[in-house]
Amino acid sequence: MEQDTLLKFENVSYTYEEEEENNRLAVRNISFEIKKGEFIVVLGHNGSGKSTIAKLSNSIYLPTSGRVLVDGMDTSVEENEIPCRKKIGVVFQNPDNQIVASIVEEDVAFGPENLNLPQKEIRARVDEALKAVGMYEYRLHETHRLSGGQKQRVAIAGIIAMRPAGIVLDEPTAMLDPKGRADILETVHTLNKELGMTVVLITHFMEEALHADRIFVINDAVVERTGTPDEIFSDAAFLETCGLELPDTAKLCLLLKKRGVSLPDRIFTPEALIEELVRQTERA
Amino acid sequence: MIKDITIGQFFPGSSPIHKLDPRAKILILLVYIITLFLVKNFFSLLLLFLFSFICVLISKISAKSVWKSIRALIFIVIFTAVLQIVYNKNGTVLLKPFPQFDFCITSGGVFTAVFLVLRIIALILLSSLLTYTTSPTMLTDAIERLLSPLKLFHIKVHSLAMMMTIALRFIPTLIREIDIIMSAQKARGAKLDAGKFGERIKALISVFVPLFVSSFRRAAELAVAMECRCYTDGANRSRLKVMRFALRDYLAFFICAVIFAGALVVNYVPLCQSLLFERVI
Ligand SMILES: Nc1ncnc2c1ncn2[C@@H]1O[C@H](COP(=O)(O)OP(=O)(O)OP(=O)(O)O)[C@@H](O)[C@H]1O
Ligand SMILES: [Mg+2]
Repeated sequence: MEQDTLLKFENVSYTYEEEEENNRLAVRNISFEIKKGEFIVVLGHNGSGKSTIAKLSNSIYLPTSGRVLVDGMDTSVEENEIPCRKKIGVVFQNPDNQIVASIVEEDVAFGPENLNLPQKEIRARVDEALKAVGMYEYRLHETHRLSGGQKQRVAIAGIIAMRPAGIVLDEPTAMLDPKGRADILETVHTLNKELGMTVVLITHFMEEALHADRIFVINDAVVERTGTPDEIFSDAAFLETCGLELPDTAKLCLLLKKRGVSLPDRIFTPEALIEELVRQTERA
Repeated sequence: MIKDITIGQFFPGSSPIHKLDPRAKILILLVYIITLFLVKNFFSLLLLFLFSFICVLISKISAKSVWKSIRALIFIVIFTAVLQIVYNKNGTVLLKPFPQFDFCITSGGVFTAVFLVLRIIALILLSSLLTYTTSPTMLTDAIERLLSPLKLFHIKVHSLAMMMTIALRFIPTLIREIDIIMSAQKARGAKLDAGKFGERIKALISVFVPLFVSSFRRAAELAVAMECRCYTDGANRSRLKVMRFALRDYLAFFICAVIFAGALVVNYVPLCQSLLFERVI
């Protein structure tokens, strides 16, 4: 296995115990590889198996069949459990149910404390993690008085304080307002660009996928397709069969085209659309 | 109303009381409570009351928060006082408002009432000061350390402490949740604050069932999140804040020892009492 693969799924299937007799798989024969430093977005409708994938990736769930490799380590080997969790951190949807302590910095310290690091090291990591998510000024605040977006950033800080190589975020913005969502997205992009952290962002907001390196489209327990945002969003019919929609800007482009505005394909961001329209009016 | 609950609240600050080692605070509070209940003498009580009052002043906790903690128990305070005034027949009769009845207010009753009220308030002041000035994590950490000898009896002290940390962390969350569920059930016509006692109890069930269900879901999610952060059984955890007794803690022990001993001496040595009484009265 090459050095630069962080996470690898090899023919992974997973069945929840309750579903065993129905023979229903939450994840069916999935294979993919994620390289270090990549920014991956996972898209899929409700119940398609996204959260299951998140929990398979750091040994919370063990595959019913197949293998999950974290930096070459098999997650189903018991000794690898903690090393895998150190390598890949997972952030969940509801920040309220991830925060353990009442004070921001004490919560962020929870992970490093579990790793039995020396006190100085914990202090350094907590400060660094809080700065990375822009919550350093809040380090002595009570966690239950923060806004949803701030809580989620604390939850992310709690993970990055363990200095994982990769971070999987399972719909971290689902419970947030647009401002909170934008903050989280910015934070996640900073982690990827500036700290070089591998990011797997699970979401059902198409807009959040626009700046990904690659998109995985999950449909009914399988990875239906992987590709760049350009490739994925230029196939509206395919997205529809997967129960997904185009990003808003792409939808707008389609409507404009129907009304006779000539636009090039593959415009997905508002900025690109504005640029194109300005160019056209200037030419006219 | 339910939002007024202040258990386990913490007001970050940098007063000397905030800076004391939480273990020192817990030990001092324990000895204080014991002394408070041993003391039968008014001067000793006054000394102890002043002690907790001054501690509150030093901590710079706002009067409002202090009042809140007293208000939560004000009913008990008033109840105790009234009971004493009505039933205590010791001492001289001060007032006999209804000559036809046996009822009278005696000096003994008033004295005991004042005594008990002071005692309860002193108790509330210093115990709420402990949670007001100590972060919940530090508090449970301290309890864990103080109880660590119990490990000899195979008691999982760490798990107990972790449970307390989480309980304290979730109190505000659950209080808010109760509030939301109550509003939701009221919107559907549940009679939560009107109607017969039986009806209200039934309506309360409609609040607690969803609360339990959601708490279990929360617990499951929290457990997974903790595992993701490499939590195992907590046997080998280091700490962000290391507790070490410093000079100020020894100083605090010394001052408290002197004051508590003083209170006990006044209480138990008859000579002191008569001396004091002669001076004051
Ligand atoms: N604890 C569980 N027990 C039994 N079945 C489950 C459990 N969790 C999920 N499932 C089932 O597994 C399938 C995949 O669920 P999963 O939570 O991975 O979907 P998801 O893509 O994350 O959905 P969502 O967008 O709603 O979060 C679903 O059909 C779901 O019903
Ligand atoms: Mg999910």
